[in-house]
Amino acid sequence: MLVWSRSGRATTATIALVLFGVLYGLPIAVIALASFAGQWNSVLPSKPTLEHYVNALHGDSLENLHVSVVTGFVASLVALVSGTWAALALRVQPRTARRVLDAVFFIPSAVPSVSVGLGLLVAFSQPPVLLNGTTMIVVIAHFVLISAFTYGNVSAGLARLPVDFEQVAESLGARPFYRLRRVTLPLLTPYLIAAFSLSFALSMGELGATVMVYPPGWVTMPVGIFALSDRGAIFDAAALTMVLAITTAIVLIGLARVPTRASVR
Amino acid sequence: MRAELADVAPAMATPAQRERAGVDAASSGIRFDDVTVAYNDVVVLDSLSLTVKPGEIVALIGPSGSGKTTALRAVAGFVRPLRGTISIGTRDVTNVAPHARNIGMVVQNYALFPHMRAEENVAFGLRARGAPADVIRERVPECLRMVGMASYAKRFPRELSGGQQQRVAIARALAIRPQVLLLDEPLSALDAQIRRSMLDELARLHRDLPSLTVLYVTHDQTEALTLADHIGIMRDGKLVAFGDAQSLYRYPPNRFSAEFLGRANLLPVREVATTTAGMARVRFGADALIARNHHGLPDGGECLLCVRPHDLRLSPCDSIGNVLGGVVKSVQWQGDMQNVELDVAGHALRLTCAPMHAPPAPGAPLAIHFSASEATLIPEHTLRG
Amino acid sequence: MAELALALPGQASAPSRSAWILPPLLILAALFFFPLALIARQALGGAEGGALSLNHFATVLTSKMFVDGLRNTLVIALSATAGCLVLGFVLSVFIAFTPFPGSSILARLIDTFIALPTFLVALSFTFIYGSAGMLNESLMEIFHLDLPPVDFLYSQWGVILSEITVYTPFVMRPLLASFSLIEPAQLEVASSLGARPLRIVSRIILPAALPALVAGGSLCLLLTVNEFGIVLFIGAKDVITLPLLIYDKAIQQFDYTTACVIAVVNVGLSLALYSLYRFVVAYFGGRRAGLV
Repeated sequence: MLVWSRSGRATTATIALVLFGVLYGLPIAVIALASFAGQWNSVLPSKPTLEHYVNALHGDSLENLHVSVVTGFVASLVALVSGTWAALALRVQPRTARRVLDAVFFIPSAVPSVSVGLGLLVAFSQPPVLLNGTTMIVVIAHFVLISAFTYGNVSAGLARLPVDFEQVAESLGARPFYRLRRVTLPLLTPYLIAAFSLSFALSMGELGATVMVYPPGWVTMPVGIFALSDRGAIFDAAALTMVLAITTAIVLIGLARVPTRASVR
Repeated sequence: MRAELADVAPAMATPAQRERAGVDAASSGIRFDDVTVAYNDVVVLDSLSLTVKPGEIVALIGPSGSGKTTALRAVAGFVRPLRGTISIGTRDVTNVAPHARNIGMVVQNYALFPHMRAEENVAFGLRARGAPADVIRERVPECLRMVGMASYAKRFPRELSGGQQQRVAIARALAIRPQVLLLDEPLSALDAQIRRSMLDELARLHRDLPSLTVLYVTHDQTEALTLADHIGIMRDGKLVAFGDAQSLYRYPPNRFSAEFLGRANLLPVREVATTTAGMARVRFGADALIARNHHGLPDGGECLLCVRPHDLRLSPCDSIGNVLGGVVKSVQWQGDMQNVELDVAGHALRLTCAPMHAPPAPGAPLAIHFSASEATLIPEHTLRG
Repeated sequence: MAELALALPGQASAPSRSAWILPPLLILAALFFFPLALIARQALGGAEGGALSLNHFATVLTSKMFVDGLRNTLVIALSATAGCLVLGFVLSVFIAFTPFPGSSILARLIDTFIALPTFLVALSFTFIYGSAGMLNESLMEIFHLDLPPVDFLYSQWGVILSEITVYTPFVMRPLLASFSLIEPAQLEVASSLGARPLRIVSRIILPAALPALVAGGSLCLLLTVNEFGIVLFIGAKDVITLPLLIYDKAIQQFDYTTACVIAVVNVGLSLALYSLYRFVVAYFGGRRAGLV
């Protein structure tokens, strides 16, 4: 510990709390305030109203919520399957191939999302595969962008899994698929849930690739929020942002409560 | 699919089902034939040849990195030999997948599946092999009973102590009626007291299951001496000694074995001269000593005389006793015994005996005696420690 | 035991098991690498069916719009990264070494903040620092001013400040991990020998944190070069970065070829930074904890 005196500790605590408050507490508080604001002409908003939430849960905005949640679930689920598959299959590769492929599966997280969207537009606006203007291309964009994060989470979990469990299972006569189903995957469950949660949160907030590829009938919340703020409806934008954050939080908290018996000691 | 099959199986399984499930296999031995294992061109197991007879416990001991765990994992199928063959019973298993080898394995940190109850852990191997439901129903409680864990069947591993977890791990390995049981440092993670009682438990278990073949890897000589019929001592990937526990302790074939299995006083001696029936006279400095020449060392050569600290005495023991004069360097009292360190002609000698009322003082001259039958000559040239 | 660590799960595997990697690899190839390749082809003029050439590159890369975009991108990324490193270090030292009520909760909240959409901060900054925001309104009220005195939000400083806020947690994560490895006894001995807090920070904590700072910094650089949402939401006319330029060209002006040329440069820059990051992490022996 660095500071021992009572006054010194009080000072550092105050500085730290103020810093955190201004940097991280204030932005969220301000969005929350704005989402209830009827008017904001002085320091604090006035005429509190629920109107923006009513707007956020009606018409286009409600549709945005639906689109975001569906896109998030589908993209995260596909990413979870393919990421888990990749992480598991990577373990049986020769050493050099494993190193190279590990980097390959991480690359999508390093490429700017706008370029991912542009690539999809260029690739799938021409035969043989025409996806431009479909819902599918949005889901694909989200899948590509979050796949590296699911892969990373699952492979980190696999690396932490003691090798003994699987070897004992194998020595007891479990064939590879039986072992995978009864031992490896149950033990990985906490990591799978964490991977899914992170992917879902990232998908809910994705903007760069979505604005490149979304069709008029499939507008996600971030795009909707941008459209609202762009035409000056900033309080509605704030309310929709709150809905986004709360929806994400509800899903994440729900997932965190999924009971898993696989707590490794 | 297999699990479903088991669920709808009739009350009594047919012999064919039992056969397919591999749950009634008879005991059989293990044979290593010139087995070499290398990781990235580093040889970690060097031409190991060793036989474990059916129903026998063989302990492999040695310092870490000596290759003993690699030998065990080669039997399990987790390391692939570069050369040589491994057989279980009459079957060459060198290229058989681990799950098809019909072995039971217990590892140092138990590796109980944390998401399964104790009984599910024990049933795992049977289910994995598609054993009929009636076999599982009968076998699981039986195995838990065998290790004294019947009343803990519904507990999860995290609700069990280390010793209890290890018992369940043993029950899990036994449930499949393995041809051989592999124990990899099974007691190392337990604290000293529980380790002793588990050791007794393992000895009892083997009395109850006399046909079980066991390969036991440990770095603890007490475990090996207590349990094993035969002991193999490993060093740098090589088997440097193999024999029954008693004779390996009494007549170590080389310096490393003498020092690794128990404590040893080693005196350089020369002018070996065979006398009668496996005995020889040697010279230690100016003194003449008599010792067993168990390994039949040729006359006239140099070698080491090995005598255990507890075989050194302060008073004469028999008519053909040896006597050495020395100076007391230090005396240590350790509760139930006394440790005396002596200097005999520039060589350090250790003597242990029952606690004395008036122990000798450091610096005092002291005569020590040892019986010729408790001293052994071992060749000097092999494996300097 | 050392012997155990050497044997990997795949030790006794047949080569055919390697083929299991193909399904996820093919999906990634079809949906990610193939589109990237098409971007490159279009940038080289391959889409019109003619021979590949560097003509488009020559035109675009020398244009003022591109040069400004690249400069903005680099200036913003470097400034934001520097800010993240300073702020992240200070905040981490507070959390790790001067515990205060709630500091452990804050450490956990950092992970949550990483998952929030980046534009949230940009949006909230318009309420706080915008021309009609809280700060300006307060100042105008207190000092009876007619015009908003604080006007930095719609410049690159607004973007930089937003990015610092958003990406500081990415520096704090590896930092807090490396701080947890510093033995408290080491600090106690140092202070018992009379070292003042600042001296302890500069002599003990900073050197120990260097690998984490380098890793966190290179990750920040990568993420800030790629950032899009913040720049879009701040919407300052003269702060156009490469990702925004790509969006502008492709979506607003339907000029795909120019967009592709810029994307090639942007992706190249990102991959270079990503290689730097992997190299740094591998060099310092850490796991890839920061990126996931």
